[in-house]
Amino acid sequence: MKPMFAVSPVFPSWLGRALAVAVLAVPLVALAGESALSFSDPAGDDNGTGAYKYPSNPEYKTHAFDLRKLEVTDKGDEVEFKVTMGASIDDPWNSRDWPDGGGNGFSLQFVQVYIDTDHVKGSGFTTPLPGLGKATFADDEAWDKVVLISPQPRTRLSAEVKAKAGALRAGVVVPKSTRASGKSLIAVVKKSDLGELSSKWGFNAIVQSNEGFPVGRDLLTRPVNQTPGPHRFGGGDDSDCDPQWMDMLAGKGKGDGSEVQAQYSAMKYTCGSKVATIPMVYQGE
Amino acid sequence: MNRPIRLALLAAMTLLLALPAYADIAKFDIDGRIYTKHLYQNDDSQGLLTLGNPFWPDKISGHNGVGSELELTIRGKVSQYVEAGARLASRFGMRWQDWWASGDLAYAQENTSGDSEGMNRAAYMQLRGSYIQVTPDMQAINYIRVGAHDFSLFNPWTIGKVRYIDRDNGRGYFIGGKLGGDEQVQWFASAIAMPKLFVGPGWSTGLGDPLLTNAFWSRDWAYAGTVKWQVNESTAVRLVGDFTQDLEVNRADPDAVGTTNANCRDSLGQAIPGCVQDHAVDMLTRYASGNATFDLNSEPTDWLRVTGLLGYSWQHIDPKLAGNGVALNQGVFPLVFKNTQDFAGTLRLSANDPFGVGLSLQAEYFNIGADWNAIFGARREADVLLTDGLVGSGGQLPTLNLANEFIDFDDLWYESCIGWNGATGVATWERDTTRLKAEYTHIEYNTNMQNRDIDKVYPNFLHSEGWTDTGLYDYANVTDRGRDPRSVYRRNQFRRTNIGAVWGKHQFPVGPGLDLEVKLKLVNDTDLRAVNGVGALNDDYEGNIAIGRGSLSMPVYDGVRVGVFSQIEQWDEKNRTGTQALGYGHDITDKQTSGVNLNVNYQGMRFSYYLEYIHKTQDREREADQLWNIWRSKAVVEAAW
Repeated sequence: MKPMFAVSPVFPSWLGRALAVAVLAVPLVALAGESALSFSDPAGDDNGTGAYKYPSNPEYKTHAFDLRKLEVTDKGDEVEFKVTMGASIDDPWNSRDWPDGGGNGFSLQFVQVYIDTDHVKGSGFTTPLPGLGKATFADDEAWDKVVLISPQPRTRLSAEVKAKAGALRAGVVVPKSTRASGKSLIAVVKKSDLGELSSKWGFNAIVQSNEGFPVGRDLLTRPVNQTPGPHRFGGGDDSDCDPQWMDMLAGKGKGDGSEVQAQYSAMKYTCGSKVATIPMVYQGE
Repeated sequence: MNRPIRLALLAAMTLLLALPAYADIAKFDIDGRIYTKHLYQNDDSQGLLTLGNPFWPDKISGHNGVGSELELTIRGKVSQYVEAGARLASRFGMRWQDWWASGDLAYAQENTSGDSEGMNRAAYMQLRGSYIQVTPDMQAINYIRVGAHDFSLFNPWTIGKVRYIDRDNGRGYFIGGKLGGDEQVQWFASAIAMPKLFVGPGWSTGLGDPLLTNAFWSRDWAYAGTVKWQVNESTAVRLVGDFTQDLEVNRADPDAVGTTNANCRDSLGQAIPGCVQDHAVDMLTRYASGNATFDLNSEPTDWLRVTGLLGYSWQHIDPKLAGNGVALNQGVFPLVFKNTQDFAGTLRLSANDPFGVGLSLQAEYFNIGADWNAIFGARREADVLLTDGLVGSGGQLPTLNLANEFIDFDDLWYESCIGWNGATGVATWERDTTRLKAEYTHIEYNTNMQNRDIDKVYPNFLHSEGWTDTGLYDYANVTDRGRDPRSVYRRNQFRRTNIGAVWGKHQFPVGPGLDLEVKLKLVNDTDLRAVNGVGALNDDYEGNIAIGRGSLSMPVYDGVRVGVFSQIEQWDEKNRTGTQALGYGHDITDKQTSGVNLNVNYQGMRFSYYLEYIHKTQDREREADQLWNIWRSKAVVEAAW
C-alpha cells in the first residue's frame, strides 16, 4: 500500500509567497487630505415616476437600480465617483468577456452623473444624453459635464458617444477606470477632463440600465416602455415622451423620505405637454 | 364592364394602394443585424466553426471561410397589455464562395455547381423565436408568455439559461406574478417543450436510440417553477425546481404504430390478459429527472454578502427504452446509466472592502455529489463556482451535458464540476487603475473510487487523462489533446487538485491609458489511480501545470483599441496516459502563444480582428513527439440598426 497522497511540497511555499505579496501590496496608509462630497437618496424609490417597474427577467434583482449614495472624492490629479446601490452589483452577463477589451465587472447598471460647475443661467446643456427619454434641466442648473459610469469598455463607450451625443459630446467625460465593488460602482476621472472639484458644484446621478444593443440613437440605455418585458422596464410610455430612468437624486440629497415625492414630482410628465425635469443638487444649499 | 366603371374601379384601387400604412407601423418595431465572420488558419479545413461534431455530414466545423448572417427582430405592440414578437435569422453556414446554393441536398457528392450541400449553405431565413406576451394589470399574475424564452427564470442547476446562439430556440408556456403586500414573493411556473436534440439519454428524447423503432418526442415536456421570497431588504431566498419527462409509446399496446401485439394474442395464439384495442395508446417513461435547489442571498451589512445553495438531483432511466450509450458509444454519453440521486451545496462569503483599503475577500465551500447531474442545466455561458478552475476561461457547471462545440477557437470553455468537493479563497485589491487578485483552490473528488464501472454505467467520454488543451482541441482526439472536460469518472481514481493563480491589471498613464494585464496560474493535479493491486505503484499521475500570460492594450483613437498578448505554458505530466498493462509515460508539453487584436467601433459598425501564432511541442515518453506551428485569425464585422 502506497501513501495516499504525495502533494507537491512546492505548493505551500509558492502559495504563501503569492498571498503575502498580494496582501503586503495593500497600501495601508490613511486616506488623509482627500476632500469628498456626499449625497444620499432614500431607499425604495427605484421606480422612477412612482409607477416604473423592473424588467421581468430575474437578473434585474430587487434594488439593483436603487440609488442610495453618491460620493465624489478629490484624489489629487483625479476625482473618484462612487455610486452606491441598494443591492450588490452582479455581473450576470460576464462583462469581462465582452469584445473591445472586456467590460468593467458589472452588467446591468449605467449611471450618468450630471454636473453643473457654474450654476449660471444659460451656461451648459439643458437636455440629457440620448436614451433618457424626454427630460430637461432648468436653465440655471444646466449641466456642464457628465461622467458615464458604464460597464462597457472605454473603446465602445467613446465610440457610442461620438456617434450619438452630437454637440453634447463636449461635456462627456469617459472615466479612465470603472469598476464594481460590493454595492458600489466606482469611476475615476482625470481632473484634466473634469476640472477642479468644488463644493459649489451641483450634481445628479441618473440610474439607468446598460443595454449593449440599444434602440436607435439611444446611448447604451434600456428603454422604459408601457409594460415591462424580460429586458424592458415598464410603467412608462412606448414613445419617448417619458423620462427613462429608474432613480436619481432629488430634494437636498440628504436621503430623507420627502425626497421620494420630490423625485416623483420632478419626473412627472404628460406626453405632448409636460416634460420631466432633472434637478441639480448642490451640497452648499 | 363599361369604361366609366372600369376607370372608377381603377381610381379606387390606386387610391387604396396609395393609402399610408403608418397606423400599423406605429405599433411595430423591427431591428436588424448583419454579422460577418472571417476565420482563417494555416490548415486545409473548410468551415466557419472551429469545433463541430465531426460525424455530421456537413461542413459545420473547420477553420477557413467567410460567412454572413442576417437577423431581423420584430416586436409588435398589440395593446397596452399584449406584445408579440419574433426573430428571423438566416441559417449560418453559407460561405461567400457559395454562389447559387439553393438548398439542394446531395451530401454524397460535391458537384461543381455548388448547388448540392443542403439548406445550411443556402442561408435560408428561419423563424427562431416567436412569442406572445401578456402582462395583465394584476399583481398575482402579471406575466404570461407563450412561445420563445431563454429560460433565464431558473438557474444553472435546474434548467439553465440557453446559450446565446440558441437563445430563442426554447419554447414553452411561462406564467408569473407577485404576492404579498409589498410584492415580497415572486413566482414563475412553466412548461417547456423538451429539445429533442440534447435532453435525455444519448442527447436525445428518443431519436436515434437503437432500442426504439418509433421515437415519440412530441409529448416530451419539462416543468419548472421558482418562488422567490424577499424576506427583507437584505435577504432573499429562492426555491427552484424542474422535472423532465421523456415519454415513449408502449409497443405492447395494440393501438400503437408498429405494435408487437396487433391481435392481442401471444405466440401460442392465446389472448393476452389486459390487451384491449381501445384507440388509446399507452405511454412509458424512457427517462425522467428532477432537480431542486434552495438558495439564499443575504447582504446583512454594506460589506458582507452571504450566498448559498442546496440542491437535490434525481433521475430515472428505463433501460428497455434507452440504449446504453456508456456501453455502445464508448463512454460518450451525458448520463450515468442507472437511476441516481444526489445532493450538492455551495456556500460563499464575500467581504467587500471591510477595512476600507480596497481589499476584498471571498471564500467558498463547494460539495457536489458524484451522482449529481443537471441534464437540462446550463450547458455553457454560466459559472456556478468561484474558482478559475482547470480550463480557466469559461467556468464550471454541474452537468455532463456541457456544450463546448459550435465555438470558435477564441471562445470560452466550460468544464463539469460534478463530484468536486473543496474550497476556494480569493483576495482582491483594487485601487484607482490597479487591480490585483489571488486565488487558491483545493479540490477533492467525490468521484474518487476504485473499480468504477465505466464500461456500462459511468460515462468517461473515452478520454479522461491528461491536461486538456482547449486551444488545440479536437473532438475525435486524434492529436492527444487530453481529457474531455465532461469526463468526471475514471475506473480507478484517487485524485486531488490544488490551483493557485494571481492576476494583475494596471493602467499606465500613457496617452489615453495603457492597460497591462498579467496572469500566472499553477496547478498541481495528482491522481493515484489504482491504490491496490498489480501496477498500483507505477500508475500515479502528477501534473504540474504552469501558465503565464501578459497583455498590453490601449485605445488609440475614439472607438479604436489595439492590443498584443503572449502566453507561455508548460505541462509537466508524470504518467500522463497509458494503461497498467503497458505502462505510462512522462510527457512534457511546452506551448507559446502570441498575438494581436484590434477593435474598431465606428458609427454603429463593429470590427474586430484577432491574430495568433501557437508553437507547441509535446515531448512524449512512450509515443512520438508532436509539433504544432499554427497561425490563425478571426475577424468579425457587424452592424445593427
